[in-house]
Amino acid sequence: MAIDTGILTNVALFASFSIVYAVLAIGFNLQWGYTGLFNAGIAGFFLIGAYTAAIITTPPDPPTVLGGVVIVPGHWGGLSWPFVVGASFAMIFSGLAAALIAIPTLRLRADYLAIATLAFAEIIRRVTINFDTFTGGTNGITRIPRLITYEPPDPFAGGMVLLGVGALVLLAVFLLLHFTLESPWGRVLRAIREDEVATMALGKNTLLSKIQAFALGGAIMGLAGALFIETKSYLDPQDFAPALATFPIWVMVIVGGAANNRGVIIGAFLIYGMEYVSVLLKDYVASNAIYYVRLMIIGALLIILIIYRPQGLLPERRRVLK
Amino acid sequence: MADSPATESSVAAGPHALRWRPFHLTAALRRRILRALIVVVIFVAFVGGLTAAFGISILQYTLYGFRTSAIVIVAAIGLTLIYGIRGFANFAYGDLMTLGAYVALFVNVNAQLSIIWGAITSFFVLVLVGIVLEILIFSRLEGRGPVAPIVASVGVGLIIQNGIYVVAEAQPRLFSVSLGQEVQIVPGLGISWLRDGVILGVGLGFMLVIHTLLTYTNLGKAMRATADNLELAKATGIDTKRVTYATWALSCGFASIAGVLLGIISDVQPLRGVTSLLLIFAAVIVGGIGSAYGAMLGGLVVGLSQEMVVPLLVWLGRPDVLGIPHADAYNVAVPFLILILVLLFRPSGIAGRQAAIVPRGVLAGAIAKARAARRTRLAAIDAGRKSG
Repeated sequence: MAIDTGILTNVALFASFSIVYAVLAIGFNLQWGYTGLFNAGIAGFFLIGAYTAAIITTPPDPPTVLGGVVIVPGHWGGLSWPFVVGASFAMIFSGLAAALIAIPTLRLRADYLAIATLAFAEIIRRVTINFDTFTGGTNGITRIPRLITYEPPDPFAGGMVLLGVGALVLLAVFLLLHFTLESPWGRVLRAIREDEVATMALGKNTLLSKIQAFALGGAIMGLAGALFIETKSYLDPQDFAPALATFPIWVMVIVGGAANNRGVIIGAFLIYGMEYVSVLLKDYVASNAIYYVRLMIIGALLIILIIYRPQGLLPERRRVLK
Repeated sequence: MADSPATESSVAAGPHALRWRPFHLTAALRRRILRALIVVVIFVAFVGGLTAAFGISILQYTLYGFRTSAIVIVAAIGLTLIYGIRGFANFAYGDLMTLGAYVALFVNVNAQLSIIWGAITSFFVLVLVGIVLEILIFSRLEGRGPVAPIVASVGVGLIIQNGIYVVAEAQPRLFSVSLGQEVQIVPGLGISWLRDGVILGVGLGFMLVIHTLLTYTNLGKAMRATADNLELAKATGIDTKRVTYATWALSCGFASIAGVLLGIISDVQPLRGVTSLLLIFAAVIVGGIGSAYGAMLGGLVVGLSQEMVVPLLVWLGRPDVLGIPHADAYNVAVPFLILILVLLFRPSGIAGRQAAIVPRGVLAGAIAKARAARRTRLAAIDAGRKSG
């Protein structure tokens, strides 16, 4: 072939990761941008989705025992079911977890919700690291099957399949939310964000709508988790630290524009692009300071954007009767 | 202040008579002391019973619990003060604690001064940091609701944490301080008098300081007034701007001391403060946001429960019981469970008064309905008895 497939494969990989984060950011945008529920535990729902999908789709992985001592703990599951099943279960479990965490906390003020979700995500992460007979612990989960297996392995074709599937999922989520948020249900969500008491006075069950929005957002984050394992090919619990999977998502949504999914997708590509550049720069800079500097930039962006441009690049479309 | 009129004549009532009578026993105070004594007796009986049943190691975990509580209380007081005045959860608080520990480490190890100088320097550096944060960032986010300052504080935390990684590298470091060996009092109960004594003493000392400040000084009273009702405090002529700066200074100063104490019982590393942030939040919410006394109570509950649950978890982790791997690592989940229970049944906390709930939720609503129904049923039965 005449085209350089190496560069194209890299671009496809970059785009696939950006799509994963875009789906994640759309889920958060549904919760925060549209409904006003501030979720500080994005990483937790992402983790539940990723591990559910991984446990369902991978081949069996029994513990490796050497002389009576468990060397590699292996993990549960190993059902080798197809990706679609794994992704569906990922959505179901993440959505259920979101609904469960929502019931005691959604009636509280926004700051309580933030603390409770942050705590939830941290505990889920610690359980994942420590409960190693179930999740593989710090060894993570390896040998995740590709969407289509090529014999012999063809990274270019694999990357293209991944990109195609990712783009389809992103489009589906985008369109689904586009239509549901224009529906009366979506109007109730925006009304809750603006004035919950007034919405209740209009006879809407605001608590139920909030739980639905939070659970749907959680399910979308679970779907992002399922896509993530296909992109990553192995699972590392450290990928779900809040500094890697919660705070950058906030930046993506704030950069792009809260309550504007188009802007959020742009934000995801921009912010993940920054991460990608930092990975490329790693080869030229001796220390791993670049990794920390990137997180410092994320922090500075959070502060500067929230002070000076909280509405983002593409602000929410104003819906006013003409 | 609900001081009952003095019964005995006070000493030499000149124009500058000392109005500070901390040991004046009013009826309310007596009741409170009685209640506290009952709780203490129940706690001692509980620990004594556990020790009799499971051996002396329970006492060791209780000691750890008090040690953790002392640190959590210092940190939680600082966090709850700023939470009460500025109305947002400072997610950078854990990283501010780490920063305090590193400043002390710099003075202690690089400049080779005593840890006491380290703690004092770190206190004042953090006081400055707090005031600068308020001026540069948080004063611009006033009136933007609780979420915008939370996002900004996460940004501050990320900058501090990763800045420490860049400047000081990741490996854990130790204060150069000799704290004596652990002494075995009885087999199974070791205590390091200097280390544990210093930590408990500093914790108690800071509780006394904050009590004195909030009860007997103008600044403390102004702080409580501002936390209670900002507009009213402004209308009464309190310089709320100055109060806010003072609160930031105090809050960050307390963070630095908590960070140094954490560094003393373990080591100093870039994630030292963040890992206990959730514990501190749990203490603040269990106690009731904005209440320093609530933070003390919450810190005690959270710290003791986190350490004293360890033997239970170890027992659960044994292969013949449940066989959960690394079961004792889940002790961090216990404060979270307490937090969820408090959020479900008493969201304003043990000592809090601020309304935490926007509208009534499913569960609390159902419970209230059931209780109301039971009350009407009982009343109906009562009425039936009377008429019949």
